[in-house]
Parts: sequence; C-alpha cells; structure tokens
Amino acid sequence: MLEIKDVSKYFGGLAAVDHVSFSVNQGEIVGLIGPNGAGKTTLLNLICGIYKPDTGRVIFEGEDITARPPNKVCRAGISRTYQIPRPFEAMTALGGVTVGVINGKRRPNMTLSDAALEASYYLEFVGLFSKRDTLASDLNLYELRMLELARALATTPRFLLLDESMAGLNPAEASRALDMVWSAQEQFGITILWIEHVMKIITQAAQRIVVLDYGQKIAEGEPTAIMNDQRVIEAYLGGKHARH
Amino acid sequence: MMVQLQSILVYTFIWGSIYLLISLGFSLICGVLRIFHLGYGVTFVLTVYGTWLFMSNVGLGLIPSIIGMFLLQIIFALVIFYMGVFQRFLEQEEVLLTLTMLVFLTVTHLANYLYPVTAGVYLPTTIIDGTFKLGAVRISYQMLLAALVGIAVAVLFVLMFLKTRAGLIIRAMSQNIHASMLMGANINRMYYLAMALSVIPPTICILMIAPFWGIDPYMGSPLLATAMMVAILGGLGNLKGTIIASYLIGFIHATVSFLYVSRFMGFAALIVTLLVMIFRRGGIMAGETIW
Amino acid sequence: MVTFELKRDRVLLRWGDRKYEWIIEPRYWRNPALGVIFMLILPLFFYNRPSILTMITTANLLAAVVIPLSLQMIGTGRVNFGPQLYLGIGGYTSALLNLHLGCNPLVTLLANILVCGSIALLLSPITWIARGLYFSLITLILPLAFLDLTYIYGDLFRGEVGLVGMSALINLGKVKLNYLAYFYLSLFLMLLYMLVADKIVRSRFGVSMAAINEDEDVAQMMGVNVNRYKVFNYVFPSILIGIVGWFIVHTFRTFAGVTYLPLEFMIKILIIVLVGGRAFIYSVVPGAYFVAILEEILRGFGPIHYVLFPVALIVAIVVLPSGEGLFGLYHRRHHRDYFPKFRVRRE
Repeated sequence: MLEIKDVSKYFGGLAAVDHVSFSVNQGEIVGLIGPNGAGKTTLLNLICGIYKPDTGRVIFEGEDITARPPNKVCRAGISRTYQIPRPFEAMTALGGVTVGVINGKRRPNMTLSDAALEASYYLEFVGLFSKRDTLASDLNLYELRMLELARALATTPRFLLLDESMAGLNPAEASRALDMVWSAQEQFGITILWIEHVMKIITQAAQRIVVLDYGQKIAEGEPTAIMNDQRVIEAYLGGKHARH
Repeated sequence: MMVQLQSILVYTFIWGSIYLLISLGFSLICGVLRIFHLGYGVTFVLTVYGTWLFMSNVGLGLIPSIIGMFLLQIIFALVIFYMGVFQRFLEQEEVLLTLTMLVFLTVTHLANYLYPVTAGVYLPTTIIDGTFKLGAVRISYQMLLAALVGIAVAVLFVLMFLKTRAGLIIRAMSQNIHASMLMGANINRMYYLAMALSVIPPTICILMIAPFWGIDPYMGSPLLATAMMVAILGGLGNLKGTIIASYLIGFIHATVSFLYVSRFMGFAALIVTLLVMIFRRGGIMAGETIW
Repeated sequence: MVTFELKRDRVLLRWGDRKYEWIIEPRYWRNPALGVIFMLILPLFFYNRPSILTMITTANLLAAVVIPLSLQMIGTGRVNFGPQLYLGIGGYTSALLNLHLGCNPLVTLLANILVCGSIALLLSPITWIARGLYFSLITLILPLAFLDLTYIYGDLFRGEVGLVGMSALINLGKVKLNYLAYFYLSLFLMLLYMLVADKIVRSRFGVSMAAINEDEDVAQMMGVNVNRYKVFNYVFPSILIGIVGWFIVHTFRTFAGVTYLPLEFMIKILIIVLVGGRAFIYSVVPGAYFVAILEEILRGFGPIHYVLFPVALIVAIVVLPSGEGLFGLYHRRHHRDYFPKFRVRRE
C-alpha cells in the first residue's frame, strides 16, 4: 500500500534519513523504532509532505505522492498524529475534530451541524463524548492523545501514521489506548505505521517492525526476531535484553 | 555622465551614512527587545524641539541644552516607552504597536502645537560652514562631517558589541533570551542599556544634519519610514544587515535621483525592498540576531 | 437546481451537491434586533443637526471598513496595518472614472470591484510569503507608497486638495433629507457587511479559518488548503473596503487620499479594533461610534485636539479590559465565542 523507495533527507551535511526503503501492506500494523535522533519523525514528515525528500520516492496505492503538499496528502488518504499533541488550543474538542471532518475529504451535502454530528461519533468512539465542549487546553494528556486520534480518524484515512502515541501514559492508559488503536483498525479498516518507544506495546501490536539508526534502516522483520537481532540490541537496546 | 557617476558615489556615501545613523537605534531595539518600535520617530522630534525648548524657554546655551535634551530623551525612552508600554504589553503586540504609534503622534502634534513651522525653530549646530568641491560634486562641509560622524558612531557601536562584556551579553540575549537568563544575565538592566543606547545615534544624527535637512514637527514620519525600510531590507535587528542596507538604500536614492527623477526615489527603494522580501525572506542578512 | 427548504429552526439551501443552512435562533437575534432598531431611530432625533448626522454616518463607514479588516485578521491570521490602501484605490478609481469618463455610480461600483480585486489578487502572495511581522510591515508601508504615488502624479490625483464634484448616489432635493438618506445607506452597508462577515465566520469556512489561526501546519495536515483560504481572506475583504471608498466618493462627493491614507487614519481603524474588542466582529460598532464621537467632541477644543485625540485613545486602551475592549463589558454577561457554536443533539 505504501512504498518508501530509497528516500533520503539531508539537513546541511547531516543525513537525517539515509536511503531508507521499506513497504507497508494493506491491513498491517508496522512498527518503526530506533534510538532518539534516528530520523523516524523526519521520515514521517517526508511521507506527509512537510519536507521534500532529496532522493527517492514515496508511493501510496500506486500513486507517487512524493513532495505533495500536506493537504493533498491528507486528501489522498493519509493522516497522522503528533509526538507532542498539537490540538487547536482555543477550540473545543468537538471543534477540533470537526475541522478534520470538514476538510479531510470532499463531503457532499454537509453543513456545519452535520459535520459536528459526525465529529461527535468519532469523539464517542475514542471515549471523549462527555468532553466535547471542553477547550482543548483543559484536557489532560491521555485525552489529548485520544483527541489527536479522533481528529486523525475524522479525516477518513486509509493509512494512519502514529507518532509515539504512548509516550507519557501510565500502563493502564497505555493499554486502553492500544485497545483503541486496534478497534480503530478493525472498525475503519486502516493500515498503520507506528513510531513507538514503548517496546512492550509495539511488540504486542505490530506484525512487522522496521528499525532505524542514524537515518539508516538496520533491520526489518517480526517483533521477536527484531528483539533478538544483534544489531538492534547494540544500536538501541544497549546490551542484553530479556527474551520475550 | 562622469558628473552623474561622481554624484551618485558621493551621495551614496553621505546618505548611506546618515541613514545608518538613523537606523542604528531602531535595529538595536528590534534585535534586542524583539519588538518593532513604531514610536522611534519620537527621538527625532525630541532632539530638535527638546533642544529648542531648553534654549529658548529655559535660556540655556547650546551645549547645556544638548545635554539636557539627551537626559530628556533617555528618561523618555526608559520611563514612557520601556516601563510604560513595553513591559506592560509585551504579550499583546497589536496593543504595543498601536500605543507606541499613539505616543509618537502625541509628541509630534504637541511639538506642532507649541512650535509650529512659523515659530522659526532652528538648531545652530553647524560645525564647519561653507561648501567645497569633491571632484565635480559640490557638497557642504557639514554633510561630509555628518557622514563621517555616522561612520564613527557605527564603528563605536560595533566595537562595543564585539569587545565589551555588555555587548556580549546583549548579543547572547538577542539569540536566546531564556538561555541568557539561565546564564545569569540581568535582562532588565540590559534592556535599559539597549533602550538608552538606541537613543544616541538618531540624536547625534539630527544634531549633525539639522543645518541642511529640513526641520519641521512632522519630520519623524519620513525618517521612521526610512529606518523601517533599512531594517526590513537588512534583516530585522541585524547590525551587519543594517549597515549594508543603509548604503544600499542610499545608493538607490542617489541613482534614481541623478539618473532619473528624484520624485521616485522613495518609491524605488520600496520596490527594491518588496522584491528582496519576496526572494529572500527576512532581508539581506536573515538571521534575526544582532550580529 | 437551487432549492430552498424551511425546517422548524433553519433555512436550507441546496445547490448541486452543496448544502448551506441558516439556523434561526430567536434568542440570538433579540439583542441585535434591538440594536438595529435603536440605530434606525437614532437619526430622527438629530434631524436638524447635520453635523451629528455626518458624525454617525462617518461612524458607520468606519465600522464598514473595520468589519472586513476583522474578517481579514481572523482569516489570514495576520494583522493588516494598511487596509486603507484599498480605500484609497477604490475611492480614486470611482472618482476618476466618474469625473473624467462620466460613468454613473453603478458602473464605477463595478469598475471599483474589478480594480480592487485585481490589485488584491496581485498582492495576495504576501499573505503566504511574508511571515507575521513582515506582512504587517509591508501592509504598513503600502498605503504610504500609494500616497507618495498620488503626489508624484499630482495633476491626475490632485494631491492634497483631492477630487471634488462627483455625482451623488441619490439626491432627494432637500439637503437635510440627503443627509438622512446617506445615514441610512451607510447603516445598510455596515449591517450588510456585518451579516456577511458573521455568516462566513460562523460556518464551516469559519471553523477552518479558526484552525488555520491556531496552528497552520496541523490545519494543513488535516486537509485545509491554507493558501486558498488566505488568498480569499485577503482579496474579499479588500474588495469590501474598496466598496466603502466608492460609497464615500458618491456621498461626500470629495475624495483626497491625504485624508484616508496616512498614519492618522490608520490609527483610528486600529483603535476601533482594539477598543472595540479584538476577536469580535460585532464589537466594531461600539468601537466605531466611540471613535467618531470622541473625535467630534475633541474637535470643539480647537487646534489642541490633535494632541488630545491620541492621548484620549491611549487612556482608552490602557483602561479598558485588554482583548475585549468595549464589547468586553457586554460579552462578560453573554458568552459568545467567535467560533461558530456547535450543538450536537442526541436523537
């Protein structure tokens, strides 16, 4: 479904992403891990069109979407969440998700109240319906992450990019969020590329994991194989890691 | 043709240096306090009318009046602008800009009310009288002196920033204010210093150019517009850019005046500024730090 | 084609596959209706005092300039320090066409819209090229450059004296009736602008505009075509301001750029935005009336009023609650955001 072919991005002399290639098939959850500074978020930004890759192509569902502006990428069916939640601060939760509903794709016969109604369905799905009239600046971290998810889902994506959705959540919240992501995948039929640091979650959730280090892909495969791969352990896990 | 080229060269030098003096204070405030000081024109008006006030109403001589006027300027900048406006409204930029503009309008109209054009205000600050010929161009000694003083003041400023401890702190503040605070810089004191320093170049400039530049209560606006254009063109708050931009605008004005019609000089400078903004956002030295 | 439907609390308009609705909320319309009725009756008290009629007409026109400006600020997310550029362009276009080519007001209106629209379209790239402060600075300088231009071509634009003697919009014979008619026309213009701006802000376009204001990059990631919104929100209000210029030309029948282009006029406009209360379109009206009445009162003091006016405005800004201004005194009791109101009813 999504193919990253030999993509690179250089900032000055530094290669943030260095000739990375992999692909994601329909219906999969693929994890993207790596130490801090490995270029994971940069790769995400390259897919979304925020940066233009210096080499390589990004192919989505057969179409070349390399260097398309972000709103066109969204219309093509890719949506994302942010590492540090970026809600619309002065708008209510309902308002923020409505923005996604209205602009995510072309909607015939939709007025503002229809859009708000549909947004409320997404809020209910993530469990925020009771907070729909709270300003986004008054929500706690877990609610903000759920709001991000609802907003991304409201644009009816076929492909979802999750950027560290579990960071800062305690284990109970993290497992609730994981359940949410799974039910989103089932209910809406979306494919997910997930950047994550919390190993326990990503090894549970993902069918395949891609590992980046210093901008280069160093390993790709099943979670158990990755956890025991020597190169990954050296680069990332830093020493021996208990086998799952 | 040779005459025109020589005129262009000479006037680029003279006007460039004068514009440099005018814009130095503005750039300093832009670079350090990170605000656009639309009330900067007050310094020009206060120079002329403050000195005149001390000379004619209080009866002091020229030098004491100038000293008194300097003190008045510094007090005005610190109390009314810094403490009254900037400190209170730093978060709300529109209010800040409007208030500074209103203060400028108040001072200008007050000057016009107390000393209208008919009151015959003049500043006897001619140091050397008479004109001389530089090549094929006739200019007055005062003009040349103004230009030289401009360069001297600019050099002093640059030396201050590069060599002194206060200059180092100010440069650090303009790059990252929070880090400077963590390093122990006394931000408020440095702001006071910056505001006081910013008053000096325009005052010296007006004192020098008063004999040959027209004096009227509304002179603040066009001079402020020039300072703004130099700051925008050179990169807001960057001294290197200010120096380059003042001579560039001096060059544009001189070229348009001597090769074409002088009516278009302001317009030509504006077009060039807009073009530079489009093709190189942020101006010539887009770094937004002071050096 | 286009169909209208009347439901219990809304009017629906369907055109092709687009649907527009107007929710009619009687509670919401009560206070504005009272305000409008008050403004309709107001001039009848001052039937014999043409100076006061002129003052409130000016207030209406000031409000009609500031309402598109507020819309522009909400839509582009930048502060435009030179909306009076289009006042000048529109006014001079109408005046010159009327004087030299003898066009009637309707033709000058169309020409006005065309000229302002094209120039705004030409200048619109600065909305996305220039970052916040640079945009404000460029817009600050542009009217002064235009004023410079009118002085350069002084024989065409008549410099400080301006153009006089354009044809009037309507002429009812008696001068007093004319003043009254001009007031009602300006009131109609202002209310029309307010309605249009209100509808735009409280609609799905308004939500997207609010999103752009909050966080441009995230809005773009959600599918909002940011540049298109910015261009529309620069061009459309500019055309509206140009139309006010047309109105001034054909009611006051004199037009000099020096009245509307320099810093003093721009201060008045900014003050209306600040004193009236920033994010609200409706607050423009009390702000405009405040400024017009203040100016008229201070004019009685003689030449010192040039000094008193800025001082009074400084006092007003410092004293009134920041961000909410005059409207803040009303807003505190009636909570109404500038974002559209969402109501989700569970069936």
